[in-house]
Parts: sequence; C-alpha cells; structure tokens
Amino acid sequence: MGLWMSIGRPSINDRFKISLLPFSALILGIFILMLFVYFTNSIQILQREGIGLYTTNQWVASEDPEREYYGVFAALYGSVYTSVLAVLISLPLSICFAVFVIDYAPARLKEWLIIATDIMAGLPTIIYGIWGAFILVPFMKEYVMYPLYRHLSFIPLFSFEPLSGYSYLSAGILLGIMVTPFASSIIREAYRMIPFSYREAVFSLGATRYEATKILMGYIKPAIIAGVILAFGRAIGETVAVSLVVGNTFNIHPSLFAPGYTISSLIANQFGNAFIYKYMVSALFAAGLSLFLIGLAVNLMGIYILRRGRHA
Amino acid sequence: MLRMIKEKIFLVTVAFLSLLTLLPLFHILFSVIVKGLPVLLEGGIGFLTGTLAPPGSGLGGIAPAIIGTFVLVFLSSLIGLPIAIIAGIYAAEYPNSLIGRTTKTLLQIMLEFPTILVGLFVMQILVIPMGSYSALAGALALAIVMMPYVATSTEEAMKEIPFTYREAAFSLGLSRFKVVFRVLIGMARKGVLTGILIGMAKVAGETAPLLFSAGGSSRVYFNGIDKPVGAIPLLIYNLIQQPYENYHEIAWGAALVLMIIFLAIFIPIRLRIKEVKL
Repeated sequence: MGLWMSIGRPSINDRFKISLLPFSALILGIFILMLFVYFTNSIQILQREGIGLYTTNQWVASEDPEREYYGVFAALYGSVYTSVLAVLISLPLSICFAVFVIDYAPARLKEWLIIATDIMAGLPTIIYGIWGAFILVPFMKEYVMYPLYRHLSFIPLFSFEPLSGYSYLSAGILLGIMVTPFASSIIREAYRMIPFSYREAVFSLGATRYEATKILMGYIKPAIIAGVILAFGRAIGETVAVSLVVGNTFNIHPSLFAPGYTISSLIANQFGNAFIYKYMVSALFAAGLSLFLIGLAVNLMGIYILRRGRHA
Repeated sequence: MLRMIKEKIFLVTVAFLSLLTLLPLFHILFSVIVKGLPVLLEGGIGFLTGTLAPPGSGLGGIAPAIIGTFVLVFLSSLIGLPIAIIAGIYAAEYPNSLIGRTTKTLLQIMLEFPTILVGLFVMQILVIPMGSYSALAGALALAIVMMPYVATSTEEAMKEIPFTYREAAFSLGLSRFKVVFRVLIGMARKGVLTGILIGMAKVAGETAPLLFSAGGSSRVYFNGIDKPVGAIPLLIYNLIQQPYENYHEIAWGAALVLMIIFLAIFIPIRLRIKEVKL
C-alpha cells in the first residue's frame, strides 16, 4: 500500500480520499441509523414490560392500552428451533455435496453442479415459499408426519397431530434446502484450497477415501463451523418462505409437527395492522432488535472464523 | 474388510446426499413450470397486460406487479449503484484505513442481514413521514439490500487488477482520481457489471423488504413514484394467503414469470464468470 500512497502530491490524494469518503460513510451511516431506529423504537415497550417481552408467551392486542401485553418468547423459540433444524439438515447435505463436487464429479459435470447450486442460492425466496406452501407441506403431512405420528406419537418429537402440516418441521426443511447451497459453497471453497501435498500424504499412508476425507475435513473445521454459523444466520433472518409454512401460531411445543411462529414472520404478519394499537409497533421493533442483534453476532462470528481460518 | 464396507457406505452416502441436495431445485423448477405454464397459456397476453381478476373467477393479469418490479429495480439501482460502486472503490483503495476496513466488514454483514429488518426501517424513516407507501420507499429498501452485492464485487474486481497497471498509470503523471476513474475502473468493469446484475436479479426477487414499503398494487398500473406500487414477489405472497382457488393459480403463473425474469438475468452472467457471491 505504502508505495502508491507516496506517489503524486499528497493534497490531491487527500482530496481524492475525501471525495470518496461520503459514500462509504453513507453506508456506515445507514447501518448506524438502522440500529438507532431499532433501539429508540424499542425503548417504549422495554420500559413497560422489561425483559418479560422476550421471556413470556402472551400476545394481547387490545384497543385499551392498559390491557395490551406482548411477549415474543414463542417467536424467539420458533426462530431458533426452525433454524437449528435447518442447520442440522443442511450440514450433512452441504458437506457431502462439497466432497462430491471436488473429489468425484467428472470435470464437465462439476461446473454445472456449481451453477445449479448458485441458482438455488439466488432463487427468489418467494418461489421457495410457494413451492413449500403448496407442494412440500401437503407432501410432508401425508407421507412423513402422519405415519410418524400414528406409530411413534409416544416420542415427544412426534407427539403433535399434524392437522395442517404447517409446522416447525416444514419450515426447518424448507430453510435447510434454502441454506444448503450457501453453506456448501463455503465448505467447498475451503476443501478445494487444501494443499495437494496434504492429500498425497494422507493417501500415501494407505488411507481409504473415507478415511482421507475424514482427516481432510478435520483440517477445514473452521470453514465448516463458519458455514454452519452463517447458514444459521441466513435461516433465522428468512421471512416470507418461512411465514408461508410455519403456521403462524403463538405456540411453544417440543414436537416437530406443531405449528409455531418466528420473529421475522411475526413482524411480517403483525406489523401491517400494528399502528392501531398503542404498544404493538414498539413491541415489534423490540422483536426486530433481537433479530438484529442475533444476526449481527452470528455474522460477525462467522466472518471472524472464516478470516482467521484463511490466514492460518 | 470393515474398512472396505465403511468405504462403500461412505461413497454411497456422498452420492445420495449430493443428489438430494439438488433434487429440490429440479422439483421446484418442474413444479413452477407445470403449474405456471397452463396459467400463462390460458391467460394469454392478457396475463401480462391486464389487472388482477376479482376473487373466485378468472385469471386477469399481473401487469401492475410486473411494471412495479421494473420500476423498483430501476429506481433502486439509481439510488444504490453510485453509492455502492464508490464505497467498493474506497474499500479497495484504502483497505487498511479504519473506514475502509469497517465498510468491508459491514458490507459482508449486510449481505447476510435479515431483509425484513430493512423494510421495517424504511417504513419508520420514509413511509410514516410521507404518510403512504410508495415506490420511492420500496426502492430505498431494495437499494439497501442491493448495495452490498455491488460494493463487494466492485471491491474484489478492483483488487484483482495487477499492480503494474496502477504503476503504469501513475507513471504517466495522472492524478489518483484519473488513475482510478479513467484507467482502473475500466479494467474492473466486468466484475462491477457482474455485481450490478447479480444485485438487480437479487432485488427483483425480494419480498420481505417490500412488505412495509412498496405497499403493493394489483389493479392500478402506475401512479407515480410517491404512490404505492406492486411487485411480482409481493403479489405472489399476498395471493398465496388468500383462500381463492383462482388466486393460487395466478400466484403460480406469477411465480413462473418471476422465475423467467430471474433466470434470464442470472444464467447469462453465471455462464460468463467463474464465481459469484450470493
């Protein structure tokens, strides 16, 4: 860097830097303003309800402000539940896909496989939503949920009768499908970057392909962890596809087949008519704030692990 | 022996799960075509030029949503692109400065940020002061979503230019401004353009940021940028939640239109370049 910093007259360089600065500052400004808007709008409800907002499951919208009470615990629970499901589903898929593309796919097929996952990652989420609501949910209800419920309903995970099919499981599977290409591309890149001499070394010890892959996976563990974390972040922020399949019910239930809510679908569903109530807008902003902070923490963590892994 | 069995199981699992990863994509493409195409054929040209049918009968058209999507993509590009490109250049030119570093991290965070939060934010700062949903608010929300894609790819494209070109340009006695905007940006144009198109393809399919900003319009074509507009994803989202059979059909038709728009932008870019960031 230093080399071309010293080229040319400093005053012109400074002017150049200063003339570009407002644009970068604008992005920074938008972000800070966003955080500020979420904080200031959350204050009202947090002063009224305190931490109870996040720890109780009660949603009383009333014309009489005295009776209004909002607790978003069910939505927080649902957000975490569905996103964890998504990650659990996408982890084996994305690792296997990465391994397949790098190690086994024929050269001509490889490019097309990557293009296909890129399309998947970029496809409008509403298309996942319409497919999820009209095709995935009826299919899951008929062929997965009811059979499991009929035979195994003594297990708490399967204990809820899947009346509508809209459930944590449907949302988790749809999210898992959506985040897999993304997680897979992170793992794939790291897996591709493993020096060839390492592969040679592993195979020269007489390892089978399974053993070699297992050892090499240990080598790119940071990328896998980062992939999981970033996929979780993506899943928890997804809105429309989830809100079409999760059922949108204030519910806290251990069963996979129970309908629930997520923070983002709560906002999507309730914000439109929130303005007729005194505290609901603030409650939804506070719910959004929690999503904001979770998103920020998860992404910073993922980016940090990924960068550290690259430098190592 | 056991090792060989493990090996076999491993290979079969990898092949099976890889197939399973891509299966939903093909099923989605297939379903959207199978359910959407008959709607498009039945609705004919009217499906692309007409307005929404009444609940319960007929298909009508989705023209207001199509127009709205194009207006929104155009306006959001107008707002977002200059900011994003210059911020990307800044991050590439001053990677070690505080602002450069912060911008870069911030852009990566914004790539993954829950987009519904952007919509809520725009509602509070623009829709409420203006008193109504508007194309402008929708465009602002989409611009915020679009910026990180464009800025990140600009930054990466600028960084890939070999250092010697920079030296050569400076040795001609050009100012840094001219070096960057006359020489380097031209060399990075492919990367920048890719970022722009990916950003556009992405925001054309966004729903969540528009929920509380664009407002939606299914019967009025276009009223001006200070009035509500429709968007195809928004229309699909609203129609799915209606109980009427014909609205679900229209939603599938609209999904096919949206998918065609997305693939028409995305596939050509993707075939020309090696990697994209999504």
